[in-house]
Amino acid sequence: MFGYIRAFKPYMRVCQYDIYKAVYCGLCKDMGRRFGFFTRFALSYDIAFLALVSLSVRDKTLSADMQRCIAHPFKKTMCADCKNDLSYSSSAAMILIYHKLKDDIADKGLKEKAAAMCALPFFSGPYRKAAKRLPKLAREIGSAMKQQNDIERQASAGTDLACEPTARMMTAIFGGLPGGGEKKALLERFGYLLGRFIYITDALDDIQEDHRNGSFNPLLRIPGSTAEKDSLSADRLREIRSYADDSINLTLGELAEVYVRLDLTRYREILDNIIYLGLKNTYGNVRSGRFKNKNKRGNHIDG
Amino acid sequence: MDNPYKVLGIDRNASDDEVKRAYKELVKKYHPDQYQDNPLADVAAEKMSDINAAYDQIMTERRSGGAYGGGFSGASRTYSYAYNSAEIRRLIQSGSVTQAEQLLGNVSTQDRDAEWYFLMGSVCYKRGWLNDAYTHFAKAYQMEPSNAEYSAAISQMNRQRSGYMNGSPVNRGASSDMNQACDCCTNLICADCCCECMGGDLIPCC
Repeated sequence: MFGYIRAFKPYMRVCQYDIYKAVYCGLCKDMGRRFGFFTRFALSYDIAFLALVSLSVRDKTLSADMQRCIAHPFKKTMCADCKNDLSYSSSAAMILIYHKLKDDIADKGLKEKAAAMCALPFFSGPYRKAAKRLPKLAREIGSAMKQQNDIERQASAGTDLACEPTARMMTAIFGGLPGGGEKKALLERFGYLLGRFIYITDALDDIQEDHRNGSFNPLLRIPGSTAEKDSLSADRLREIRSYADDSINLTLGELAEVYVRLDLTRYREILDNIIYLGLKNTYGNVRSGRFKNKNKRGNHIDG
Repeated sequence: MDNPYKVLGIDRNASDDEVKRAYKELVKKYHPDQYQDNPLADVAAEKMSDINAAYDQIMTERRSGGAYGGGFSGASRTYSYAYNSAEIRRLIQSGSVTQAEQLLGNVSTQDRDAEWYFLMGSVCYKRGWLNDAYTHFAKAYQMEPSNAEYSAAISQMNRQRSGYMNGSPVNRGASSDMNQACDCCTNLICADCCCECMGGDLIPCC
């Protein structure tokens, strides 16, 4: 996961921010308890959002207490406790992270490869544990990952097809939340569209690198002026950005339709903030290149 | 309605292409865009709806193989259409998107009319392939701008494309607040007029 789904802090009330942070801390602790100390570093805002939606779908009040943690050893912070049952979110996170690392080893540059190789042993045990808990999800994500490799090999894939694997993963993850019938269908579409958002944003984020390395990126293939060898010309970059803007806007517009129909009530303000402001803010940062400079993975929320 | 053929100004035995051509010409002539700020706009709009109704009637009759006007039997030709749109619509509605796509894919390129593009757009939309859906809806709309279904689809997507998000506090912002402010002033002035009629005064300065 990439950390693209996060709240827009300036528009948050302090009480909302406290809850958001408590969920994040609770997840971090839950992962530590369940899967071992090292896995905690892999937590991202995306998973915090998943946990928040899962709490909201189950209509659970947050039960939290003051705890110490390694990031804040001298100050106790609010932290969601075990009663919230964040196990689905943390197990899903494990499965995702494991596959992401494997994917990095397969097709990233030397530096990422080495980093992923070092990290993988710490995650294979936890992955097996999580996959045992959620076998169906592990299978779905595995097959989506395979599809991604296939698509990246065929040069002609358009944007919609390229989004499909990530979108499918998110479909499986959100579809696995409790709730049957129409609610399940809505959650699945919600996940699908979020996956699209993540993929397109990530593609735009990596555009220069992918162009340099000749890696697959659907945004490099959109029709328009031809690009120079080393770096993308300003004109070409403008074309790509405006195409990405349209795709993102279409995706978010549709996401909002589904979100309204989902009609989640608990933690509504925080979810509203993430959906309506956070996502656009992240995309805006990625678009202007500000996102990369910041701590991308967002290992911890700093107050 | 009058004889739909008369409305389009063509002969009953005209071929499908001739019907389409006549229809397109009339649409061009009476399209509301031509009549903006024109006193004849109402007349043109009425004429447009007549033309649409006539065209729809002719096309449905021809599609179902029947002839216009019940007892009239001379020109009852059966038209084999390249695809069964009702069936495809049903499939899309019930969520069998892959099947619908297969049926649409079998249609050869020259038989792809506006409805084909609309249906293909709907398939993509159901899937979540929004970029392709947009392209197809746009094409359907471009081929038949007067069709309410196509224009509704494309205008919804255009709204989203320009950044609209349903339920967002941001797009509720500027425009509607402004409207509320205007409404408030209008209401006050209105109330003032009423008071003045009755001999009182709500806003002394006007």
